[in-house]
Amino acid sequence: MAALAIDAHLLSGLASEIRQGAVIVTGTNGKGTTCRMLAGVMRASGLLPITNQEGANQPRGLATTLLAHASPGGHLPADDRAVGLFEVDEGSLPEVLSQVSPTILVFTNVFRDQLDRYLDLDYLTRRWEHCLRSLPADVTLVLNADDPRLACLAADLPNPRIFYGLDDTEHRRGSTDHTSDFPRCPRCTGELSYSCVFYAQLGHWSCAHCGLTRPAPQVRAAKVDLIGPASSRLQVVTPAGEAVLEIPLPGLYNAYNAVAAVAAATAGQLPGGALPAVSQMTPAFFRMEQVTIGGREVHLALAKNPNGYTEVLRALLRDGRPKHMLLGLNDRDEEPDVSWIWDVDFESLCGLAPSAVLSGNRACDLAVRLKYAGWTDTDTDTAAITVEPDPIGGLRLALARTPEGQPLWVVGTYQVLWQLRDWMRRQGMVSALWEA
Amino acid sequence: MTGRAITVGYLYPEIMSGYGDRGNLAAITRRCGWRGIAADVRELRLGDQADASEVDLFLIGNGGEFHQRLIATDLADVKGPGICEAVDEGAALFAVGAGYELLGRFYQPARGVELPGARLFDTWTIQQGADLTSASCTLAEARAGRAIGDLLVQWDAELLVGFENHSARTYLGPTARPLGQVVAGQGNNGDGGEGVRLGNAIGTYLRGPCLPRNPVLTDFLIRAALQRRYGEAELAPLPDQFEHAARDAAVARHQGRRPGRSRSARVVHSARYAPAGAGR
Repeated sequence: MAALAIDAHLLSGLASEIRQGAVIVTGTNGKGTTCRMLAGVMRASGLLPITNQEGANQPRGLATTLLAHASPGGHLPADDRAVGLFEVDEGSLPEVLSQVSPTILVFTNVFRDQLDRYLDLDYLTRRWEHCLRSLPADVTLVLNADDPRLACLAADLPNPRIFYGLDDTEHRRGSTDHTSDFPRCPRCTGELSYSCVFYAQLGHWSCAHCGLTRPAPQVRAAKVDLIGPASSRLQVVTPAGEAVLEIPLPGLYNAYNAVAAVAAATAGQLPGGALPAVSQMTPAFFRMEQVTIGGREVHLALAKNPNGYTEVLRALLRDGRPKHMLLGLNDRDEEPDVSWIWDVDFESLCGLAPSAVLSGNRACDLAVRLKYAGWTDTDTDTAAITVEPDPIGGLRLALARTPEGQPLWVVGTYQVLWQLRDWMRRQGMVSALWEA
Repeated sequence: MTGRAITVGYLYPEIMSGYGDRGNLAAITRRCGWRGIAADVRELRLGDQADASEVDLFLIGNGGEFHQRLIATDLADVKGPGICEAVDEGAALFAVGAGYELLGRFYQPARGVELPGARLFDTWTIQQGADLTSASCTLAEARAGRAIGDLLVQWDAELLVGFENHSARTYLGPTARPLGQVVAGQGNNGDGGEGVRLGNAIGTYLRGPCLPRNPVLTDFLIRAALQRRYGEAELAPLPDQFEHAARDAAVARHQGRRPGRSRSARVVHSARYAPAGAGR
């Protein structure tokens, strides 16, 4: 407890020394990528963002991050260009906000994730609303208009709000995903209806009961071109004008990350000319990180909750062409729950990964999941899918099944990817996590 | 025997599918389908009656307390009588977590008045965890006293595997009997019993989801549904190698030997563990 108290003191002290204040990004998915995109815009605007690494997004990690920037005397260098840019674990937001007062607070989305840790989405958002009440009234809230749980977050507070969202209805789906968790109207708890769903509960919603509708976003993607597994183009409209953004990442989930970053930049009044710098981001580890092994491109993609896994797979397989894949699933030491894989939409992607290799300590559970999604020939239980719990063995097997010149797509949870990356590092294929 | 069909009543699909629960529905429909049995799924929403003569197998899943409040009165008053009648006539039912809690006499939340139950089971449930509806409740407070982890249950000769995550405790009245005995984990309330069984109706804290991981339980429910519809329940065996491998891996975690080359296992209640296959 003493160490925690020291951390708290340290964190609040050091954070208050950052001349341009701090931007905090929180939510279930997309925190890290949004930060990386925003960091590009900040640098192009002449600022020097101080950022935390993924995994260092709780109070202690933030304190460690700031200490690393501090002088031996324990102070941050006085630099007028310094700005904090922190991704914060959604469960730790109340604790962090009690120590760090941001100028801008960005919320990405609220999805089912780690129910064994965060327990319940309503509980999570209620805790957020509670801690927002102690924020100064001039902190700008940047909110995803398309997520009904976020659009009206602490609606009675006077804080300025910037809403962002997608407007390109080309990419609509038929209905909300099962994983939407049935959000109710934030005003009257009535049932919501959608004129357009992008994925999960994100879309153009309204309440049939009280008439509340999705707020019109000040920052919106008017056009989204999903060009391929490593490329998207967005036409983004802000109050200051329009910008075309090329981003080296696929899928609607990254379009949301980009408009979130642009909305945060808008909230911070960064120059519009700096916005295209979102494209200068390097993908975070495992976010479509690319490695070449034996003449084959290997792409590593992290997927750790139902919507994350579903959207990564949809982004990779949206061209409808079968791909060579290694799918990984690990549980964690004190959290043996992998029931969330049953909320991943494997059903609609049946047949698109015909020779998939499954790896990780819960690979057998993933095999059961894919069997019930229709991925195997169940008359015989012999399937094109193969189980190899050891990730290195799984990678070797998957590479052997991938013809030279064709890419291998690796989608998995953190531990599987970490083991693979560590092996690649020892082979000299990639640099260490802390060097990149 | 061909051309058989059963009707599955899936209760509150949008509200009570919060924990991979659609996997239980997939287990029923797929295992029917692989045997040429049609499984006709009726989604029963708020306001819909549960027709006792129509449904052979009911399924209800999980949600938070918010979701329980949405459905409690509807389940008790609108659907409850039909469900109780159907189970009395031999229909199968499988209820997990929050759905299990609302099929007893009542559910007492951490704060406020009790929610009515459908009174199918002679059970009641008391929320003993922190009040999650209070925004000032911290994550540590919310997790304190909560049963979170693998749950292994001896069900007659079978060992069922799953996962539990609940802070409410369920108690059995004099006419109720548990589904099985806890081998690892907490179960109903820590008294060694887990779940409840009434005829072909089962309530349990086993998530995971439970049915794909325990094909023997799924087939029990399908057999019961067939028996009710046709008066016979012949069911062809299926090759369940993936299911068995996943189950064996779960059991192995509690024997301190974990397959693969990953970290060593956390041993829970190992002394009470009956070896895999014992009694089978």
